[in-house]
Amino acid sequence: MMQAIPILLFFACAFATAVGMLVAGTLLGPKRSGAVKQMPYESGMDPAHSAWRRFDVRFHLVAITFLLFDVEVLFLYPWAVARKDKEHGLLAVVDQAQSSLIFIEVMVFVALLAVGFIYAWRKGVFHWR
Amino acid sequence: MQTTLVDLLTSAGLPDPLAHVIRALVPCVLIIHLVAVGALVFIWLERKVSGRIQDRLGPTRVGGRFGWLQTLADGIKLIAKEDITPGEADAMLFRIAPYVSFAASFAAWLAMPFAVGWSGLDMNVAVFFVLAVLGLEVFGVILAGYASGSKWSLFGAMREAAQVVSYEVPLGLCVVIPVFICGTMNLTTIGEMQRGFATNWLIFHDPFTFCVFWVYITCGVASVNRAPFDLAEAESELVAGFHTEYSGLRWSFFFMAEYGSMLLVSALAVILFLGAWHGPIPIFSIGLGWTDAGGILGYLASLAGCANLILKSSLGVIVMIWVRWTLPRLRIDQVMTTCLKYCVPLASFCFLGALAWQAWIPNVTPASLPAPFGIDRAAIRESWVTRAGGPHATVSDAQLTPQTASPVPTTLATQSVPDRNIPVAGSTAPIGREETP
Repeated sequence: MMQAIPILLFFACAFATAVGMLVAGTLLGPKRSGAVKQMPYESGMDPAHSAWRRFDVRFHLVAITFLLFDVEVLFLYPWAVARKDKEHGLLAVVDQAQSSLIFIEVMVFVALLAVGFIYAWRKGVFHWR
Repeated sequence: MQTTLVDLLTSAGLPDPLAHVIRALVPCVLIIHLVAVGALVFIWLERKVSGRIQDRLGPTRVGGRFGWLQTLADGIKLIAKEDITPGEADAMLFRIAPYVSFAASFAAWLAMPFAVGWSGLDMNVAVFFVLAVLGLEVFGVILAGYASGSKWSLFGAMREAAQVVSYEVPLGLCVVIPVFICGTMNLTTIGEMQRGFATNWLIFHDPFTFCVFWVYITCGVASVNRAPFDLAEAESELVAGFHTEYSGLRWSFFFMAEYGSMLLVSALAVILFLGAWHGPIPIFSIGLGWTDAGGILGYLASLAGCANLILKSSLGVIVMIWVRWTLPRLRIDQVMTTCLKYCVPLASFCFLGALAWQAWIPNVTPASLPAPFGIDRAAIRESWVTRAGGPHATVSDAQLTPQTASPVPTTLATQSVPDRNIPVAGSTAPIGREETP
């Protein structure tokens, strides 16, 4: 719990700074509102319709690809800090066979990833028409 | 054992939780000033540099010479502006969005070490924390775009979401390379492992880290939405993108967040690749021997290291400014192609290459050259790993393994590195338990 204090305080301070400055802005700034002023900006025209409409499906594809690959990349982090035993990290590998094993293991992982990547590429997911 | 700020406060009769809160507030206030003053300076610098690049003068009047108070004057002007919420907007989300952006860009600084022990919180998962919290910034932008109720804002926000989300993948791949070379996600350890001459910097570790540094810079620029990747606010197409409907001070928070993130991304690059708080020539650590001296000399060495880190990060920001005013803006399809068809395969290739290098030929790298100075990466890392039991645990020679103990100088091996010199340092235990021995 003691360790979470700095994190919470950091977010709290950031919010407090932002709120403090905005309150100053609200107190000092003018407040003159009007129907035309509150209209969304659309290059001077009256807005044609609401902005909340359907999106292009491409954004959905990007989101899916992101989910796939970023989760895979996340798996690499625990791997990168995992150590076979207490003394020898990947850095201090003394055993040639062991280091080869680590390398081949992650090669398999990246190869699996590459298959998915090539499939998505061939399907034209990355082609932004 | 060095006295920390928490020890000092509790001995003065304050209750323990209050002491911890004060210990957390000190770096918090310092870093707020770093981010705010950094934004002021970099916005001024951007105007000056862009002016010079375009054969103009830039700001010249405010504050006497060079217009150095221009940004402050603009800030005061922005406070005096009206804060408009459009009628069409989702008012609550519209108001919250700048806070989210600003808080994310600022809170990521919590895990950044400025010298050994000089961080808001010494985390074992600092790299992860920084990337994760920096990724939160995009929520603010998407909220802003969605809540504005304007088409320009929505288009800008959707583009930004697609772009930032795509560039997270190569960015993560780039960052994992220093992590596995050092075998830790603790940024202080990663920085400390690059101690010594510039040949010890991870960018010169092998050819693949050299390549991946440039991929990191590209992805870093893209992930903070700087030109040539600033599609979210493409003035020529989208008026102002996601902040079209914002005005006054609320609008300026997006800019403070942007400049804060720029500095953060380049500070992360400096820590991961460019030797962190160590200069190219180790004047303080080897030349004068102050770094391990403790007391006021150690404090001075840390101060110089901190200045070194901020200087190198600022140079990174200047490069970003330079790139912005040199290259034309890309189209959205070019941005996505750059990421998915170039950056991801390139980063993956460098990842495998660096791994192969690490697995088979780690000892022919220039990094192994300064070992005679008593700086061995494996030894430093081991001393940090055994330290993970607690902030005040000192590392004795007995705890080190026979392979790693020999090259360690006694100063390094017998001393708990982060608690060395200043009261603020290392009074909180590292969180995350990935390295518990």
